[in-house]
Amino acid sequence: MAVTVTSFCAAGSYAWAMLPRLRGAWTLALLQSAANSTAVPQNRSESGGTHWRRREVPRHNRLLGIPRTKKMPVDQDWSNVYPVAASFKPSVVPLPIRMGYPMKKRAPPSKEGNLELIKIPNFLHLTPGAVKKHCAALKNFCTVWPTALDSDEKCEQHFPVEIDTVDYVSAGPSIRNPKARVVTLRVKLSKLNLDDHAKKKLIKLVGERYSKDTDILTITTDRCPLRRQNYDYGIYLLTVLYHESWKTEKWESEKTDADMEEYIWENTCSQKNVLDTLLRIKAAEKISDVPREELLASEIVENYKNSVVLLKNEGETEDNMSKYKESVKKLLNLQGFQ
Amino acid sequence: MLRGLSSAVRRGPKLYAGRFLHITARICLNATVTQDVQIPEEKPRAIFRTSERDPANHTEQHDGQHYSIPLEEVKVVFPHGLPRRFKQQIGTFREACLMVRKPALELLGYLKSTNFAQPAIRYVLYGERGTGKTMTLCYAVHYCVKQGWVVLHIPDAHLLVKNCKELLKSSYKKERFDQPLEASSWLKNFKTSNEHLLREIKTQQKYVWNKWDSTEEGTPLSEMLEQGITRVKTATDVMGVVFKELKRQSSLGSFKLLVAVDGVNALWGRTALRKRDKTFISPEELALVHNLRKMVMNDWSGGAIVTTVCQTGSVYKPYAAYLPHELLGSEGFSTLEPFLPIQVAKYTEKEFESCYQYYLDSKWLQHEKEKPPTNNR
Repeated sequence: MAVTVTSFCAAGSYAWAMLPRLRGAWTLALLQSAANSTAVPQNRSESGGTHWRRREVPRHNRLLGIPRTKKMPVDQDWSNVYPVAASFKPSVVPLPIRMGYPMKKRAPPSKEGNLELIKIPNFLHLTPGAVKKHCAALKNFCTVWPTALDSDEKCEQHFPVEIDTVDYVSAGPSIRNPKARVVTLRVKLSKLNLDDHAKKKLIKLVGERYSKDTDILTITTDRCPLRRQNYDYGIYLLTVLYHESWKTEKWESEKTDADMEEYIWENTCSQKNVLDTLLRIKAAEKISDVPREELLASEIVENYKNSVVLLKNEGETEDNMSKYKESVKKLLNLQGFQ
Repeated sequence: MLRGLSSAVRRGPKLYAGRFLHITARICLNATVTQDVQIPEEKPRAIFRTSERDPANHTEQHDGQHYSIPLEEVKVVFPHGLPRRFKQQIGTFREACLMVRKPALELLGYLKSTNFAQPAIRYVLYGERGTGKTMTLCYAVHYCVKQGWVVLHIPDAHLLVKNCKELLKSSYKKERFDQPLEASSWLKNFKTSNEHLLREIKTQQKYVWNKWDSTEEGTPLSEMLEQGITRVKTATDVMGVVFKELKRQSSLGSFKLLVAVDGVNALWGRTALRKRDKTFISPEELALVHNLRKMVMNDWSGGAIVTTVCQTGSVYKPYAAYLPHELLGSEGFSTLEPFLPIQVAKYTEKEFESCYQYYLDSKWLQHEKEKPPTNNR
């Protein structure tokens, strides 16, 4: 009720304000009504103009001037009011919105004739009810989710390659967005059939795109103008990487220690040093030649090997150093201090 | 005495706890004083000092205490090798006081239990800057000198790879470089500390210096040192000969050898020296470094090798590096392993208290209101 009162008052004042300009329209209406209606008391003012008293305006004229917001039932279907994207119409949107910078000691300007409200994009055509209707209409074109794929693990197992694409909507006339062509492929390397050499080679080939913590290879392509083309290119890259990593080139035999991804203890100078030391110790103790394999397999050497591998692979910390110290103490059979 | 105490107890509720205790203590003291004739005033016990001057007898109970080395001994044992600040401290306090600390005691424990028939064990002291690695090394050197070992003490290996005024082409091997100044100064200092032992050790090989000059088999090493000191050009080669002979003969068991190298990571890093064509010299092209590398291998027996890895004074190493592997590099690590790393940490509460008491005692730290010390020394 309050809404209608304010809108009526607003309409009335608006009408009065606009009266001089609408005189032509009013006189036309008057002539028409004069032809149809019963006689209405006319007032002749001093200025000589004729005007209708507000309470004596004929009913159908009143109906002409009443905005739609007053004629709306509360339980109407809003998607009939705004079925498509349209600009803000103050007489149609039943909300007392005010927008804009207020003048001194005034409220912000109301919605009637408010250019600010008309300029901005609105989503009045996309209320939840409207979206539900869209979904219901689209459902006829969709297929059912396969019932066998009811968990994430099953999806990963049957479809290890995951494709990510992004669609963009904006309140503008065009549905095109250049960012929509980006395609991201994600795959776990454990799902690919790679042996040790192939996996290391693949990781070296892709570089930054492989994450060691999650074992996921991420390929992002955006070099082609269309999404379909980028997707094809991404699949092609994956195929090429897989096949190339299985091949062994001639120059791969020149791999140096600096290229190694992790430290392997066998056949390093560390192993040689330890063996030499142990052999010298045994020689000093006058023990006859102990075979190398036995020395290598002994527990102290295993312990030492683990501590050195830890030191080299995980980097140096005080913890690792103390572990190394313990293993050397056992190796060289040193007693602790007094 | 009891009557005094009981009167204090009656007065108790009026006084608060601190004063109460103080009064009882005073009463007890007064009581004892009246009983005995006279008690000499007790000096505060110097818990930071120990009178045990031989490092061999230091045990865990001496941990945190200072022991002093007589100044004449300092001249003989440490002709080079003490840190600069410690030498200043010796000059100021007119006494050389070392603190006995846990890493040093640990190292000494290992040295005491070394099996001289087995290959020499490498010990690497590491720690952050200023924690006392060089001092621990000097402590070990002092112990070995007291025990009669031959001590090969390289005070700072970093000095070999930087700031060399004279670089000569080696006459022995064409691609190597000699450093006569460093070699001759080291030989002088080595002679000061080990002369009496070197007289007994004789060369086992003939060394030919040039067409006219050679050293016969059986000359004592002290004579070789003299030759190296007087003829500076041959000093580097003399050093090489000394190293070789000591290494060979210590395995025979006639003497024990300690190789103490401070800043051993300089042997495998980069040098700051350039050749005439402005390219950097790599460490193995320096004859001294080459010979030192051979010394720290564990293919000899009859002694031990104690080293420190140090960032201060190192060439092209990051400021925050202090762990052995990052300072030695992979090459140094693989040459030195298997080594025993010993960490030297900052002062504990006890050690700090001890050091603080020592400084207070020697009037180094003073309160601003305190009167200046009288000149009665």
